[in-house]
Amino acid sequence: MAIKQHDVLIVGSGHSGGMAAKILTEKGISCLMLNAGPEADLQRDRTMKSAHELPYRGFGQPGRLPHVFQANEFNANQWVDEKENPYTHPPEAPYNWVRVRLLGGRSLFWARQSFRLSDYEFKPAEIDGTGDNWPISLADLAPYYSRVEQIFRVSGRKEGWPQFPDGDFTDSSFPPDTESIKRFTEVATKKGIRVSKWRFAQGRDGLASSINLLLPDALATGKLDIVENAIVREITVDKNTGLANGAYFLDRHSGREMHVKARVIVLAAGCLETTRLLLNSGICNSSGVMGHYLVDQMYGVSVVASIPEARDGKAPENLMGGSAFMPRFRNLSKKDKRDFIKGYCLHVSSGGDASQHFFPLYGEELQSKLDSYAGSCVSAGIFGERVPRYENHVRINKDVKDAWGIPVLHIEARDSENELNLRRDAANTAEELFHDAGWEVICKTDQVNPPGYSIHEVGTCRMGDNPKTSVLNKWSQAHDMKNLVVVDGASFVTAGWQNPTMTILSLSMRASEHLGDEMRQGSV
Amino acid sequence: MKRRKFVQNLLAAPAVAPLAAQTQTQQQRPSTQPNTPARQDPRQPHEIAQLAVTEVDLVSATHPYFFTADQFSALQKLAAVLVPPLKGKPGAIDAHAPEFLDFLISVSPEERQSLYRNGLEGLNRAAQDQFHTNFHGLEAKQVDTIIRPLLIARYWPQDMPDDPMKHFMAQVHDDLRTATANSREWAENGPAPFTGRRRRFNRGRGMYWRPVDPVVRG
Repeated sequence: MAIKQHDVLIVGSGHSGGMAAKILTEKGISCLMLNAGPEADLQRDRTMKSAHELPYRGFGQPGRLPHVFQANEFNANQWVDEKENPYTHPPEAPYNWVRVRLLGGRSLFWARQSFRLSDYEFKPAEIDGTGDNWPISLADLAPYYSRVEQIFRVSGRKEGWPQFPDGDFTDSSFPPDTESIKRFTEVATKKGIRVSKWRFAQGRDGLASSINLLLPDALATGKLDIVENAIVREITVDKNTGLANGAYFLDRHSGREMHVKARVIVLAAGCLETTRLLLNSGICNSSGVMGHYLVDQMYGVSVVASIPEARDGKAPENLMGGSAFMPRFRNLSKKDKRDFIKGYCLHVSSGGDASQHFFPLYGEELQSKLDSYAGSCVSAGIFGERVPRYENHVRINKDVKDAWGIPVLHIEARDSENELNLRRDAANTAEELFHDAGWEVICKTDQVNPPGYSIHEVGTCRMGDNPKTSVLNKWSQAHDMKNLVVVDGASFVTAGWQNPTMTILSLSMRASEHLGDEMRQGSV
Repeated sequence: MKRRKFVQNLLAAPAVAPLAAQTQTQQQRPSTQPNTPARQDPRQPHEIAQLAVTEVDLVSATHPYFFTADQFSALQKLAAVLVPPLKGKPGAIDAHAPEFLDFLISVSPEERQSLYRNGLEGLNRAAQDQFHTNFHGLEAKQVDTIIRPLLIARYWPQDMPDDPMKHFMAQVHDDLRTATANSREWAENGPAPFTGRRRRFNRGRGMYWRPVDPVVRG
């Protein structure tokens, strides 16, 4: 039997790989997709259970997923096993690398917050004089954002604010604000902080994943083949042309090594897996920048207040419930002098309970307190921007290998004084707003979870116009190898405060359309 | 009931494959009883009757062995004080939380084991120093004298204080509440959970992901 040949090899099946597959196959280009894990059968692989039916009564197997704070015993099997797939970091600088290798990757589980980056993120050097510009602007990406927002059915409210670019929303209707949200909006507005609403991908059937919104379209063309349980360990290069020509991969179960050839390689394994694969392959790093500028967002700063008149179950009708969203409001002009650069968004939700951790009490006294405060709470959290810095990087640790003998990543990422000052400002601002609203602040923290926790890691193969300072060009092609394209978050130059998914999808769409055109013209 | 069904499925699974294989073999030969397609189709193993099995916790108890007798008695005292029965819901003792934690800590990383052992020893030491008895023998007011200064407020569950005794107290308090709220005894006493924002498990039920196509290593 002759082995079927494909034009493009796509590594990874999440949002970015799914979009590449959709765009390329719809252009008539044959694609092979390799995914490191299996396909989940949502009927077969999931079932309702009680915590006491689980082996560890809901605690989870101790030590199994020490870096995945999102894990619990119910969902433990959806995450990548850290023993099979280890990585290293300095003991004093933990990094939470949260991975999914099921078909569809992390697109199966994302929170669906859907924002565009603005030119505050694309062109920071021009706008506020801090950091590096992307080689593209919002105007370049806007048409792709629009198409992605339609596919993912993004809801949101148009505002016309430059730091919060509007999208092509499929739904802009929101229920009227409750009295607590109105009160909060009033005090925030007085301080010059603009208040909007969440922007959210509604998807279809409760899912906004590549497996239901992208890959079915690609498969329908008859131009896509998907292989599961295929762990790619190295990109191969044609010695004569210097171009990528295929990949070695291992069967997840047996370890059998395979090789596949392709005219073009599209990497969509997620920022850090893509970078690991390139570093292990020893390619596309003439700039020496690969692996550097690792960045994500800060999650964890939180303030909770209780509304006195809502305690003891006595909240008047329409007082509690609802949410408010404040996109970045710091450092939007050079006049705004702070002890930090960049900014954060603030999100507020009304109607929650108090946590047991808020009170140094126990037994009946604690329970009475929790019962009294139940439903009376308003909480604020942030998505805080981290500044991309060269020293935050990943490299290969040849001393440690995964279950398939592939060297792992060593990850070093630390926050600077800027991040500390930013999160302190965020906590103080939220506290002040709650005080102004007349509410009792019952808990406040300016601490954040370790880097990586947001699951928004980006930047380790940044794009740029200069091949000496960037890995990819503005079309996400490697400067060193035009037929190798990185369509996941590795190409980012800045992370912003926004969930990166809409930007990853739009960049993948844009890169794939350009790639398809170039393949048609024979220039790739 | 769900637990029982799960165990039934588990036990039924290995019995299905040989039966299915046998059926396939039989299909190669003429059959005098061809009108039972469900039994002949290996894709429909659920047609095979399942046997009733019993949940292990209904017929046996966890055997604690990790902590010393003094440590375990201190843990029992803590359980009774920190998470007493309230509003018709079982307390930590009713939910056998100390026995479960003995097991859980026994299979936990060494750091957690030391935290618990040193913490329980610390409580016994404090009881001896202040009241000349072990922690288990204290009156409620005496217990309060020892543990109240060790309680702290924090936002995230993982934001633990540097002081080892305060760290232990925060951890054991969390663990006893979770072990209680996630117990069969709690689930059987109605749906009302602890109030509290972080109650991922306290509602009792959730969507459980089975291992998806796991790699079996020899």
